[in-house]
Amino acid sequence: MSLIRKIRNLFHRADIDREINAELQSHIDLATEANMGRGLPRAAARREALLRFGNPTTTREHVTAADATLSLDRFWADLRYAGRQLVKSPGFSITAILSISIGIGANTAIFSSMDAVVLRPLAVPAMDHVLTIAEHHERTGDDNVSLANYEDWVRRSRSFEELSVRTGVDMNLTSVGDAAHIHAEMASANFFSVLRVQPLLGRLFVDNECTAGRDTVAVLNYGFWQRNFAGDPSILGRRIELDQRTYTIIGVLPKSVQYPAEADIFLPFAPTPQQLANRSDHLYLVEGRLRDGVTLPQAQSELRSIASQLANTYPITNRGWTIHADPLLDVINGPLTPLYYRLLMGATFFVLLVVCANVANLQFARGIGRRTEIAMRTALGATRTRILRQLLTENILLGLIGAGGGLLFGWLYLRLTLVFMPEQVARHMSGWSNISLNGRAFALSLVLALVAGLVSGLAPALEALRINLSDQLKAGSRSTIGAGRRRWLRNIFAIAQISLAVALVVGAALMAKGMVAQLHVADAYNPEKVLTFNVALPARQYDTPQKQAAWYVESLAKLRALPGVTHANVTNALPYSDYGWNREFQIENRPTTPGKDQNALNLVVDSDYFSAFHIPIIDGRAFSGSDSIQATPVAIVSPRFVAQYFPGQNPIGHRIRMGHTDSSDPWLTIVGVAHETSYTLWDQNQYSVVYVNTTQRPSPTTTYTITTNGNPLALAEPARKALASIDPALPLDSILTWHHFLIDELIGLIYAAGMIGLDALIALFLAAIGIFGVMANVVGEQTREIGVRLAMGARREDVLRMVLRRASRLTGIGLLGGLALAFFLARGVANLLVGVRPDDPLVFGSITVTIALIALASSWIPARRASRVDPLEALRSE
Amino acid sequence: MAKSDLQGTLDLLVLKTLAHNGALHGYGIVLHIQNASNDLLSVEEGSLYPALHRMEQNSWIDAEWALTETNRRAKYYKLTAKGRKQLQQAEESFDQLVKGVRAVMRYA
Repeated sequence: MSLIRKIRNLFHRADIDREINAELQSHIDLATEANMGRGLPRAAARREALLRFGNPTTTREHVTAADATLSLDRFWADLRYAGRQLVKSPGFSITAILSISIGIGANTAIFSSMDAVVLRPLAVPAMDHVLTIAEHHERTGDDNVSLANYEDWVRRSRSFEELSVRTGVDMNLTSVGDAAHIHAEMASANFFSVLRVQPLLGRLFVDNECTAGRDTVAVLNYGFWQRNFAGDPSILGRRIELDQRTYTIIGVLPKSVQYPAEADIFLPFAPTPQQLANRSDHLYLVEGRLRDGVTLPQAQSELRSIASQLANTYPITNRGWTIHADPLLDVINGPLTPLYYRLLMGATFFVLLVVCANVANLQFARGIGRRTEIAMRTALGATRTRILRQLLTENILLGLIGAGGGLLFGWLYLRLTLVFMPEQVARHMSGWSNISLNGRAFALSLVLALVAGLVSGLAPALEALRINLSDQLKAGSRSTIGAGRRRWLRNIFAIAQISLAVALVVGAALMAKGMVAQLHVADAYNPEKVLTFNVALPARQYDTPQKQAAWYVESLAKLRALPGVTHANVTNALPYSDYGWNREFQIENRPTTPGKDQNALNLVVDSDYFSAFHIPIIDGRAFSGSDSIQATPVAIVSPRFVAQYFPGQNPIGHRIRMGHTDSSDPWLTIVGVAHETSYTLWDQNQYSVVYVNTTQRPSPTTTYTITTNGNPLALAEPARKALASIDPALPLDSILTWHHFLIDELIGLIYAAGMIGLDALIALFLAAIGIFGVMANVVGEQTREIGVRLAMGARREDVLRMVLRRASRLTGIGLLGGLALAFFLARGVANLLVGVRPDDPLVFGSITVTIALIALASSWIPARRASRVDPLEALRSE
Repeated sequence: MAKSDLQGTLDLLVLKTLAHNGALHGYGIVLHIQNASNDLLSVEEGSLYPALHRMEQNSWIDAEWALTETNRRAKYYKLTAKGRKQLQQAEESFDQLVKGVRAVMRYA
């Protein structure tokens, strides 16, 4: 094939040249021989042959060209030429390559991270077929599934290949090292086949192991295997003890499928007959894989009709309930993560645009110096397409080198992101451990590099060709300014840069402000001075409320006795934590109206909680030591609760009962009203609150808080020891300050704000370079004009003012455009982000001033240079 | 038309020469065209060799080094099957060209 031959020829240029030489030489020899045959002497024969042959060099070149006419060869030549050109102007090259590297690096890194976390967090085949299915109550919204309902779905639905069920359980792992608190998922065997996951090691459990007595096998999630067993490959067959029961490890799941991310271990779910018959406890999570060809709306409508059949058959438990299915991907991602990533990707793409504008700007500047070179090449016979291709090659080369640098930068950027993500947060993100620079990101970076090169190269390249040949050669100087168009184009690039930078900086500042507001939401409680940790009392050991209550009394007493501790408390949820259980409740002597549920956040706190957190009791009394487990169970409610359920009445003395109508909870007498306190951070809803006393209604899981005036973290070890002195087997999760806990909760926002802030800084820096570049060139071009002005009597201040006025005009237009863009974008973003206001005058104002100052500062140097022009020198140099 | 047609003519001459003579080196081709055209046509080496190499790249002709009768090394060219086909096409289109040009000349 001739194409292949031509390509091969490219790599054997030396051989080819030698062969061509030999061939042409043999021609001359043959001609000489023939001439000698005609009787000419050797020298004359040879001269005659040479004459006849013409210019051997030209012929050789043409022959060579015929052997390698492929444009690839010319591309190599262009590339070598481009390389030489770039080396010749190192200042330009370094700036351009650096900015392209940053632009592409940031884009690649963000895309890699987004790809791993949001687009493909799990390596689950045909993931769009996998749904999570929840029950949905018309009043309270989505809820987990009751097992009897699930069994009916399995029997009645036709939309799914398979449905699986699971439920999360907190367990204590006692056989490996220190007692540890782990999260287990009790799952039906087909949970794995719904995900179509294959084990990394060993096997997964099967259907007949999901029966009582045979269910003592365990499958490890990858992260847990790594953390607790150091990725031990000989783990299979190992026995571990969970809540005093022995399980055998039979398999490990792969790194690429860690769902749910918080699960440490999977155990077979062996439901009891009672559980299977229960329709009112909504405790289970259901995943299903759609049959091929079935769409989400079809499945959804089938499930709805099943739900209404069930509501008719079992009105007491199922009325008001329907079914809601969501793609698994949406559930994993939640509402915020994809949003952050989209914002970030958008911001980073802005940076790339700024980079392109910047490179284009630099190219313009360089174009001036190269006009003579281009004119010369045109005069020597280069066609315009040839020169255009040469210039574009140069830009593509820039782009490619930039892409290489970008990969390096992106790798660095990703390492930093990974390092700064708190471990306990990363554990909850399914795709987090899969983040790496991937092939798709590399492909993207290459495409970006080429596009960046073409976009930023095309306009200046065309501009460079628009020059007038003879004028250029005649003048041979930079004094001929293509006054209108080129300057106009260049101004557009500078303005675009400023606008994009302004929009980014404003956006970043708005986000940062929202983030800071969120971070300080709990400041009234001094969260830096509060240490918190969670405890889950093992159900086997602490099997009665009496035992649990006794534990709380004793543990709180021990903690309060520690030196430096001002308060030690328990609560199910801290203010602004988004934790807590919103439960249904009944009011005594008040029948529930169907479809009008009564719900309140049910918090179990100790007697001292209100005084420790400065929550005043505004009516009635606080909890007291006399509220023992034998005494009448009491409750304290929030003003919102009163307004909602006892409007205009005194709630004190009324009795309520947590749970559904068939609840076995005791009646609670309302004894007080505590000041309104928010327990939500992201959740925009505000809930009514019912507090109960931990001595009367203890909860097996709780959050401890220890308040101190000193360094709270110094109390972590004493607290651990104090609790271990009561029960050494009780595991404690990581102990951290409340402030730290809030940071972990807000980490997504902090990350997004931080990254966008970084993008904004880069954009600002590039814009400053851009303004500097434009002004420096303007001054350079106008040296003679300035010289004339000075010679005619203009003062230096006039020149300074002239240059600065021009810079201000550019900056002004850029600022206006940027502010408009920022306002427009911020309105879109503010709807989505808590705490962000689109019309924050302080942010807009201060940033306008800052950027104006930066712009003026970066045009100051060129302006000063202009004002120092020596008129004689300027006029003579032309 | 001009440029490619002239080049096409050179190709045609070379192909035809090779079809007639079997393997021939560049100098031989020059001589043959000169003789066959009664010295009316003389091929410039500056055009011949690029054309030969182009045709070789197109796989119309094959080349190989061999010794001449006078024991000199020279690069010999010979027609390939593809070249034979190409020759046929070139002859046809040349006939068309000649006919067309003739017609116009007569008319004018």
